[in-house]
Amino acid sequence: MLRVDRLSAWYGEAQALREVSMRVDEGEIVTLVGRNGAGKTTLLRCLMGLHGTYGRTTGTVSLFDEDISGLAPHRRARHGLGFVPDDRGVYATLSVEENLLLPPVTKGGQEPWPLKRVYETFPPLRERRRFPGTKLSGGEQQMLALARVLRTGARLLLCDEPTEGLSPLIVQQIGEILREVKAAGVTVLLVEQNVHFAATVADRHYLLAEGRIVESLDNDQVREREHELLEYLGI
Amino acid sequence: MLQQAFNGLVGGAFYALLALGLSVIFGMLGVVNLAHGAFYMLGAFGAFIALDAFGLNFWIALLLVPPLLGVAGIVLERLFIRRLTPLDPLYNFLFTFGLALILQDLVKREYGVSSQPYPRPQELDGTVDLGLFTYPAYQVFVLAVSVLMCVAVWLVLTRTRVGMIVRAATERPELTRGLGIDVGRWVTPVFGFGIALAAFAGVLAAPMRAVNPLMGADLIITVFAVVVIGGLGSVFGSVAAGFAVGLVSALGNLYVPALSQILVFILMAVVLLWRPAGLFGREEAFR
Amino acid sequence: MRVTGWGGCLAATGLLLAGCGGGPGGGDEKISDGKVVLAVLNDQSGIYADTSGRQTIEAVKMAVTDFQAKYGDKAASKTIEVKDADHQNKPEIANSKAQELYDRQQADVILDVPTSSAAFAVATIAKNKKKVFIDVGAASTELEGKQCNKYTFHYGYNSYMLAHGTGAEVTKDGSKNWYIVYPDYAFGQDMQKTFSAAIKEAGGTVVASDPTPFPNDNFSTFLLKAPNLDPKPQVIGTMQAGGDLVNLVKQYNEYKLRDKGVGLAVGLLALSDIHSLGSDALAGTRYTDMWYWNADEKSRAWADKFHAKTGKRPTANMAANYSAALQYLEAVQRGGTDNSDEVVKQLEGHKIEDMFARNATIRAQDHLLLHDAYLSEVKPSSEVKEPYDYVKVLKTIPASEAFQPRPDPACRL
Ligand SMILES: Nc1ncnc2c1ncn2[C@@H]1O[C@H](COP(=O)(O)OP(=O)(O)OP(=O)(O)O)[C@@H](O)[C@H]1O
Ligand SMILES: [Mg+2]
Repeated sequence: MLRVDRLSAWYGEAQALREVSMRVDEGEIVTLVGRNGAGKTTLLRCLMGLHGTYGRTTGTVSLFDEDISGLAPHRRARHGLGFVPDDRGVYATLSVEENLLLPPVTKGGQEPWPLKRVYETFPPLRERRRFPGTKLSGGEQQMLALARVLRTGARLLLCDEPTEGLSPLIVQQIGEILREVKAAGVTVLLVEQNVHFAATVADRHYLLAEGRIVESLDNDQVREREHELLEYLGI
Repeated sequence: MLQQAFNGLVGGAFYALLALGLSVIFGMLGVVNLAHGAFYMLGAFGAFIALDAFGLNFWIALLLVPPLLGVAGIVLERLFIRRLTPLDPLYNFLFTFGLALILQDLVKREYGVSSQPYPRPQELDGTVDLGLFTYPAYQVFVLAVSVLMCVAVWLVLTRTRVGMIVRAATERPELTRGLGIDVGRWVTPVFGFGIALAAFAGVLAAPMRAVNPLMGADLIITVFAVVVIGGLGSVFGSVAAGFAVGLVSALGNLYVPALSQILVFILMAVVLLWRPAGLFGREEAFR
Repeated sequence: MRVTGWGGCLAATGLLLAGCGGGPGGGDEKISDGKVVLAVLNDQSGIYADTSGRQTIEAVKMAVTDFQAKYGDKAASKTIEVKDADHQNKPEIANSKAQELYDRQQADVILDVPTSSAAFAVATIAKNKKKVFIDVGAASTELEGKQCNKYTFHYGYNSYMLAHGTGAEVTKDGSKNWYIVYPDYAFGQDMQKTFSAAIKEAGGTVVASDPTPFPNDNFSTFLLKAPNLDPKPQVIGTMQAGGDLVNLVKQYNEYKLRDKGVGLAVGLLALSDIHSLGSDALAGTRYTDMWYWNADEKSRAWADKFHAKTGKRPTANMAANYSAALQYLEAVQRGGTDNSDEVVKQLEGHKIEDMFARNATIRAQDHLLLHDAYLSEVKPSSEVKEPYDYVKVLKTIPASEAFQPRPDPACRL
């Protein structure tokens, strides 16, 4: 479904991604693991077409065998990419409901979640739908960010560290949502430092180091090497 | 005293309209439009030319001139500003500054530096009894339409999808594109609209203020202070600060005339010390 | 007449001789560089560009033409040139432009120079370089007071003339109580002082006076305050100029203060301001002027010539510059040289009668031109017969009363 071929990216003169090649197949949940500064966020932003303001990129990104490297971010979104940024990207100047309604529903994508379903799945959002987005708690904001892209019917979610800084209970909740999403046929590329959590939700894992994909792992390998990986990640 | 406060609000109406346009443009494009005052001046000159050369009265000018200049703003954005935004903000800073000087000088060349005559519309020649005091009808009209205009913009921003997109793009332009919205498509009309608002204020000013090439340059310095006080990029803040500054300078003129020259800037300094992001910087906007 | 220094030397010999110390250009050359150069230094793009500006250069060129027509082959100098520069009303620019005009452009005299601070700067240069400077555009009486010098002349009007004409006359007419608003910079402050003095001298009272920001487009606070002052002023005296004045008058009319018994007197009013406001907005307003184009046959004849050349009616400032240029050339003619000291000697105490300066003398002690001034009134549009015919002269204020009766003791030439 998604193919990345020899993708490189620079911040000015500094190279952040070095010829990254990878793929994500339809219906999979794939995680990207790597230390702070490895280039995970940069990779997601490149996939979304949002790196342009920082520096140049080379290489190709294709979605359903169509090269989308030259497309503007909003066009990529309409091709079925849903973006959940690392800071959750909840708008302060929009109410919770407006945050949900902002992105347009993509054509020919997955079944979009109607507002009603969003509210049934995330009752706190309904309660606070008239509040400014940033008045929600961290966990609620993360749910809002996820619900927002689900509502569009995106086919591939790019989620940047959705569990960061959240309580175990909420992390668990997010895991459930991701499994539910997967069951509905949505594909997910997940940036995750919590390898334990990653192994419970994902199918495969890529290890990113200094802008390169250094290893590709499956769940068993991750479980076996959990301590080693945690040490490597510095957690 | 009440009358003075009212008069402050009338003065504030012009600040509010100009600051509103400036703020929307800054929010959406990240461009500090230094030519904003020049478009205010062109609005007033537009009214003058409409009357002088085409015999069109104030009301027609009020309907016609702002959209025309709005279109000029759109052309400007398409031809120049759009190309400069990816570069250092300094480029647009210099560009709009240069543009303001060019527009001023072109008008100066054609009409000279002295003010052009412009009469008050006959319909608004009298005074209105406001209960506690009577007030010139024209000024009551100016205050009323400015408030209406600000409220209308406010409603559009808070109640419509377009407004939602503008707010989102103002807060986080990149993310908004990532969520599937073609922000670029909205940038041009927003710029045109901001310019049209400046022109609208200019037409309103023509009957009660001196219509000359420098009228905008003189005013815009205060308007920049207003925008800073309200919080850069905050639409609600700039409108509120516009009226507040009008009020403060009217009462300041009354009680401490010696400070009237710098009162607005003292206010700005105090606000910045107390709240560096301005009264309604980012977080508090739109509530 | 004082007989000292250069003057004494010249008086003794009757001729400009090398033996007297001769400056650059040598002693046997009567006309420096073989030509007389008149330089107009004024505001060509800012707020005074319409009251003086480029049109003033045309007026000065007319003076050259008239002079050449009068003297023909007998003119002291065959070649007379007119140069100009823009000082943008800034003293530091006026300073450097004046040096350039005197040194590199061979200017023998600098004319006009509005904005008092700029005029002071040029006066200092004129003094140091021993070159003639005839200021027309600046209002400050310090030009013939603290700032005066041997080579500087003040020609046309000053704040005393404006204040004593308008302030005293309007007070004597029955408007005893004044409320003065003035722009908060040198010109406004000077005007406020001289007006207050003139009003008190004439038996009036200044109830209050307020400085206003400059520039400013909203005067409503001051205008609303006026009728509520105690005692209620019969007249608002505004010292604003240009766009600020237009703003103030528009708003004065908005509040219908005339109907509330508060009249308006204007410190400095230019023809272009009346045009901007429309004469009805100012009808009945009194002010003092140094000249008006349609006051009599003689003025009108010149104004017609000016109109034929430029398509515009001249302001008083333009006429004054014409006169200053003409009188400078006449002084060169009388002395037979453009040497500054000789020209100064020819000008000091000289009696002048031309289309601008009536019953006029250049006072030797402070180099101030004393001439008739005019208390004027703006006509309602029903009485306006042709474009720019906005004013009627109510009264001629004789030269002996129009300006300071005695030279300022602070002035030592
Ligand atoms: N805006 C920027 N300007 C310059 N360099 C940047 C910028 N953003 C990131 N970098 C650099 O690019 C490299 C990759 O950063 P990136 O944010 O993609 O890492 P990450 O793997 O997402 O880290 P984290 O786990 O902290 O989120 C880092 O060395 C970082 O310093
Ligand atoms: Mg990151």
